[in-house]
Amino acid sequence: MIVTIGIACLILACTMFMQFKIVNQTDITSIETMREEELRQELANWKQKYEEVDQQYEEVEEKIEEYKNKKQSDSETAALVKEELEQSNLLLGKTDVEGEGIEITINEAPDNDFSIIKASDLLSIVNSLRYAGAEAISINEERILTMTDIVDINDTFIKVNGQRILAPYVIKAIGNKSYLESSLVGNGGYADQLRNIGHDVKITQMDKVLVKKYNGEITYKYISD
Amino acid sequence: MNKLKVSIVLGIMCFVLTYGIFLQIKTVENSNMEVSQNYEENNLRAEVLKFKEKYDNKAKDLEKLEKDLEEERKEATQDNTELENEEIQIKKANKIIGLSEVTGPGVIVTLQDSEMNPSNALNISDLLVHDLDVLNVINELKNAGAEAISINGQRLVSTTAISCEGNVININKVKVGAPFEIKAIGLPESLSALERPGGYLPFLEKYSIKTSLEKSNQLTIPKYSGKLEFSYGKSK
Repeated sequence: MIVTIGIACLILACTMFMQFKIVNQTDITSIETMREEELRQELANWKQKYEEVDQQYEEVEEKIEEYKNKKQSDSETAALVKEELEQSNLLLGKTDVEGEGIEITINEAPDNDFSIIKASDLLSIVNSLRYAGAEAISINEERILTMTDIVDINDTFIKVNGQRILAPYVIKAIGNKSYLESSLVGNGGYADQLRNIGHDVKITQMDKVLVKKYNGEITYKYISD
Repeated sequence: MNKLKVSIVLGIMCFVLTYGIFLQIKTVENSNMEVSQNYEENNLRAEVLKFKEKYDNKAKDLEKLEKDLEEERKEATQDNTELENEEIQIKKANKIIGLSEVTGPGVIVTLQDSEMNPSNALNISDLLVHDLDVLNVINELKNAGAEAISINGQRLVSTTAISCEGNVININKVKVGAPFEIKAIGLPESLSALERPGGYLPFLEKYSIKTSLEKSNQLTIPKYSGKLEFSYGKSK
């Protein structure tokens, strides 16, 4: 009698652990667990990514063709290389960029312990702007590059690209101006959060914003050639 | 009498175990089985997989083609020192921008949701790795001199945002979930500053988030998987 119950217990325990394992393995990013709405979004995402890569493929193909055709002529090759280099420098942040966008001016609330703008505030704003598709961003004319860090030095200064900056902060971003603004206002937007604790945040949509280039050398030491 | 006691104990155990199994089965069903039975959703799932595969194949082809372009460019510029110099600059720029795969020494940081029982936590949200945590870790790595970074295989580029989408994080339009594996190329000794007392990793550990940092002499970080192009900004 007892032996039988013991065996039953063992089987039950085994089943339970098996179940635990399955639950643990359920991957939350897997499409198996997604519902209709999420799936539709996911599908749109992958479609877009596919189209992007397809378009890129054609462009690279074209470029190869051009190089092949112009091999004989030094001046034509030079023009091609120059064009590619200009594109690289644009993406690197080594050129001034102009275009549609927004300008955000933040004046710190006076005499209030909560009133200091921290590096983390600027970091969140930059992240929101990138989410809205910002192509080029600067804070107090310091260009934000891929590897730019934003850290606190003390209550007055914040370090961006190794340069000290201080309030008032003027953030410029190029991209779709209404997307950019809407990423910061309303529904938990970061500009609203800052306004709520007393900061003065002004956002201006502009048809022409000039984001200055990065002034230093952009180099690397540890990436191998 | 003794037999009765044993029987009761075993009976209770059986009951508890059975209850546990039903609880588990219910959880699994909720998260999985029920959903799979929906016809429309299954179709969508198949579509998603199809496009994912199409994308993967095209991306692989593109990688090959880009190597061809590099070769072609090199060949076209090899007789002219000035052009050769520009060709090298383009190649270097692509590494920094994130348009080509890179290798080098660095660290791998892993962030994992806490395994603490949620009922023991004051705030369940504290047990999870959030977009802001990833953003802060990335910023610290940049501060320590990182030259290239990827998160679960997604290369960081100048337009990369890290945003929260329910229980997953969206990076470069791809959903990634915990555990987060962040690779960074740079001087491993500086990059490990994240582990120092008062650094960001010990801070996360306080909330029982599981973190680890591993130095490596040879890391590979993939290229950006999307298209990098400005449609609003023009160089001036």
